[in-house]
Amino acid sequence: MKVSATAASRLTPPGPDSFGSRLRSAAVAARVGLWLGVCFGLAMATGLISHYAQQPSQPVPFPTHPAWGYRVTQWLHVASGTAAIPLLLVKLWVVFPRLLERPPRTLRRLALTVLERGSIAILVASAITQLTTGLLNVSQWYAWGFSFRRTHYALAFVTIGALLIHIAVKLPVIRDVLGIDIDATMHDRPSARHHGALSRRGLLRLSWIAAGTAVLTSTVGTMPGLSRLSVLAPRSRAEGIPINRTAADAQVTTTATSPDYRCEVTYADQRLVLTRDDLLGFTQHTHTLPIACVEGWSVAGRWTGPRLRDVLAATGAPPGRDVRVSSLQQHGGSRVTILPADFVDDERTLLALALDGEPLSLDHGYPARLIAPNRPGALQTKWVARIEVLG
Amino acid sequence: MRAVLTTLGAALAGYGAWLLLSRESSAQVREALTWLAASVILHDAVLSPVVIALGWFGGRLLPRWAAVGGAALVVLGPVTLIAIPVLGRFGADPTNPTLLGRDYWSGWLVIAVVTVIAACVGARWRELRSPRGRQQEGRVHGARARRRRRSHRA
Repeated sequence: MKVSATAASRLTPPGPDSFGSRLRSAAVAARVGLWLGVCFGLAMATGLISHYAQQPSQPVPFPTHPAWGYRVTQWLHVASGTAAIPLLLVKLWVVFPRLLERPPRTLRRLALTVLERGSIAILVASAITQLTTGLLNVSQWYAWGFSFRRTHYALAFVTIGALLIHIAVKLPVIRDVLGIDIDATMHDRPSARHHGALSRRGLLRLSWIAAGTAVLTSTVGTMPGLSRLSVLAPRSRAEGIPINRTAADAQVTTTATSPDYRCEVTYADQRLVLTRDDLLGFTQHTHTLPIACVEGWSVAGRWTGPRLRDVLAATGAPPGRDVRVSSLQQHGGSRVTILPADFVDDERTLLALALDGEPLSLDHGYPARLIAPNRPGALQTKWVARIEVLG
Repeated sequence: MRAVLTTLGAALAGYGAWLLLSRESSAQVREALTWLAASVILHDAVLSPVVIALGWFGGRLLPRWAAVGGAALVVLGPVTLIAIPVLGRFGADPTNPTLLGRDYWSGWLVIAVVTVIAACVGARWRELRSPRGRQQEGRVHGARARRRRRSHRA
């Protein structure tokens, strides 16, 4: 009964053997996976740098040199995450047949399979969530009610942990297939024989091109020379240094433009109340420093204003002290920030009053804003209202 | 080595899970868990079957030159997914012209056109370079050979 046998085989649910392409091979998965691992490692390391830089108290002070350190690491963070998206999609396409494998029958093997499958489910879930929420956050599409910062931080450990377990489980296979030619069939399913129009090397090459295209078109929107190529980047240099929180968002338009504006500087029982003209009375210094955002963009500007340490010295405060900087903002994140002593003492740290030769615009922090080298953009307090030297 | 990796991995994942569950309100934790579950379901049950179906039908119903489309899709598919937030301008803020200030649909169109042209050029170049392709160049009945190959595949 040839016909009914064919009909029966058509009725069986799809399994790993339903997939015939030679591209779905451990040799391909391991090579894409290797670079995916590099991307995840880079994202984790640069993410930890950013979280450490934003810690209010740091056992080892975050360095003020090089001034471009934060902008480069945070671009790397976003670029490695963006590059990981095409790589993860290719990787999951390559290993998809394994999702349809039937569980083994013996209890011991079943338990092991459940553990391994469970770790992979956690890895896939957290990896996709990390990449998606990160991507959305960069364009400020906040499609969630949880704290992005806390959740992204927590899930980063889950992702890297599950990834290490995955590597441990697959280590013998990885060693085997990375040691031999990509077209070798070791560890391939017997059904994975079909030669399509694309070779394994071709698929790898396309994956690298996809990752490179994603990085170039989405993440270099504020890089001089490359900005125009980055046609999908949320930011550009067209309007000068980009802005995250506008004066309207922060509801400071009235207080920041009021003639009653004062900047209060305190040290112990000393209290100095300064108008913007008083700040202009200090020796003015100009430094070229970037505003670098955790979202991966950064643009350097020429900032002019008094050195923070000169203003503090007017109260008699000694060097080597942390400083608390408060904004005119009544609410919202980074309203109050702690500036560590090494940043306070750095000669490039300014209370900026002008940007690129023009008085500071309202959205850039008029009447006065903090600008320090190698510091997260969110902590470069705008609309400075109070500076307290801490004991 | 494997034991060290497994132990370290379990410790890191456990620390992350503890951070996730202990630092936010229960409603926020529930939403984060929903994101995690939806990520897997959307990928495994929606995106993957669609891509696999595209590959299956493309491989069987379309002529061989359409494989160029498959190659273009490996690049254009992920790049388009990445472009969704800016194409939809979901995060736009009317008071902030420095955010989402480009014409993203035109940009995407340029990427699509360049990708398809590059895929065609790449495919033609590979064809000319392969020994079979060079043979076919000099022969009138190259099409017949291609047909024969295709029937062999099926």
